[in-house]
Amino acid sequence: MDENLKELIINNSDSIVDNWMDEVGRIKAGNYTASISDELYENTNREFVNVIFTSIQNEGSSKVVEEFSEKIINLGWPLSYITDGLQIFRRVTIDFLLAQADQVDSNHFSNVLTSVDEWIEPLIRQLVNEYSGSWENILSLQRVALQELSAPLIPVMERITVMPLIGTIDTDRAKLIMENLLEGTIKHNSEVVLIDITGVPVVDTMVAHHIIQAAEAVRLIGSTCILVGIRPEIAQTIVNIGIDLSKFPTRSTLEKGFTKALEITEREVVDLHVKNQGIEDIMHSLKGE
Amino acid sequence: MRIPILKLHNYLLISIQTEIDDQTAIKFQEDLLAKIHKTGATGVVIDLTSVDIIDSFIAKVLGDVVSMSDLMGARVVLTGIQPAVAMTLIDLGIHLQNVPTALDLEQGLVKLHQELGG
Amino acid sequence: MNPRSCVNIHKEWDIVGARQLGREMAKEIGFGTVDQARIATAVSELARNIYLYAENGQICFEYIYTNSQKGILMTAVDTGPGIKDISSVMQDGYTTSGGLGAGLPGVKRLMDDFDIESTVGEGTKIKAIKWIR
Repeated sequence: MDENLKELIINNSDSIVDNWMDEVGRIKAGNYTASISDELYENTNREFVNVIFTSIQNEGSSKVVEEFSEKIINLGWPLSYITDGLQIFRRVTIDFLLAQADQVDSNHFSNVLTSVDEWIEPLIRQLVNEYSGSWENILSLQRVALQELSAPLIPVMERITVMPLIGTIDTDRAKLIMENLLEGTIKHNSEVVLIDITGVPVVDTMVAHHIIQAAEAVRLIGSTCILVGIRPEIAQTIVNIGIDLSKFPTRSTLEKGFTKALEITEREVVDLHVKNQGIEDIMHSLKGE
Repeated sequence: MRIPILKLHNYLLISIQTEIDDQTAIKFQEDLLAKIHKTGATGVVIDLTSVDIIDSFIAKVLGDVVSMSDLMGARVVLTGIQPAVAMTLIDLGIHLQNVPTALDLEQGLVKLHQELGG
Repeated sequence: MNPRSCVNIHKEWDIVGARQLGREMAKEIGFGTVDQARIATAVSELARNIYLYAENGQICFEYIYTNSQKGILMTAVDTGPGIKDISSVMQDGYTTSGGLGAGLPGVKRLMDDFDIESTVGEGTKIKAIKWIR
């Protein structure tokens, strides 16, 4: 790193900062940051350029950069704000340094370019890393959250369990569904498991295949699987693409499926007479008045 | 190694506790059929709770033993197939379509009782 | 770090030995019970093929690591008659032994990656990988 150039920049930081602020201010309008208040934008810009200078002065002080990137990430500003800002800084600085020189030969020119790159590169690398680190973090959190939502099994009654499925089913999820389904069936000692596909937007051959496999596995462990939530358009596609679901009981709604489940487990729902009686009594007493 | 077969009234109960190799499986098939013949049992429960692997050969032996027993007038129920085993069978493309199943020994007996109208 | 363990397949009991080793190694590296069963079953199928058709062979296991994944690689090698028409044995329901015909296509479904090479008169080599999810 050329110490003379570095000194030159540090000593003239004011004019470089001014130029930079100008340019960055100009890109605001055409940017995602357009909705941010002018004051906040300017303050952040000033902080940003300070971070750049601190980093150049200390030849890569990662602590300040880390704090700054953390702040920007928390504010939810796009990565392009950082990369644009650093690009502009590079341009402004190069312009400035070249303008300062009495004569520009190719040696000096390449010296300037190399020095500026040496200052900027580690900054870009660190900031981009901070950003992508935060994205990866979010992604893995969401993956875990999604997995938890993926295949819940609800014991609704002794010996009857329901698994509501929502969203698209791919191969990985199908495996998870199958595992939860079977482990849960054993755990709750369920004789009947209802799979509700009301929330599955599209049932193609692949999805149907996964569901059939799950139902067959349930049968192997000694329980019965009822497929419910079959909407008219799903019934149409299933028949049109020639999927055979005849081996399993199916019902249009969870309610009907539940009745079937009760039938299989040899039980039924009985209205308690008392309640009706009560209403009749009330009606009667009203008439009497 | 032999798999023990227990008799309870009209039923035969088998709980497979060991890692089954091919010879044991075939021996078991012969033993069970002989026992059905001798006792005139009408129902059989084979409990597989402790079995942690069923490959295509064992599956075939089990499927066959169900069909053969059926021919001899004894209804067979397989119970306690573990989730991992069930998933593996599905992956292998083995569905044991005509084999009755139940969650555990108790429910297997209930199922036999219902089907045989006892 | 990366030991390679092998089982020779000559006797019927070696099938049991091979799948026990496969399960043990799968457990060691962190597979769940379901995948352990898948791996052990796949080993059983491959070992039985060797025992039935080639009479002599070997199954080896080793751990494999990439940047983002780890898994187990099993290699089944025999010096048997080889397979004339690989595409037909990879079809569901194909059997020459009176089994269910679930063998090789079944193994392919149980594992993540599957590769088979065979030369008639020289033998067969099957490689199969399962990755930890």
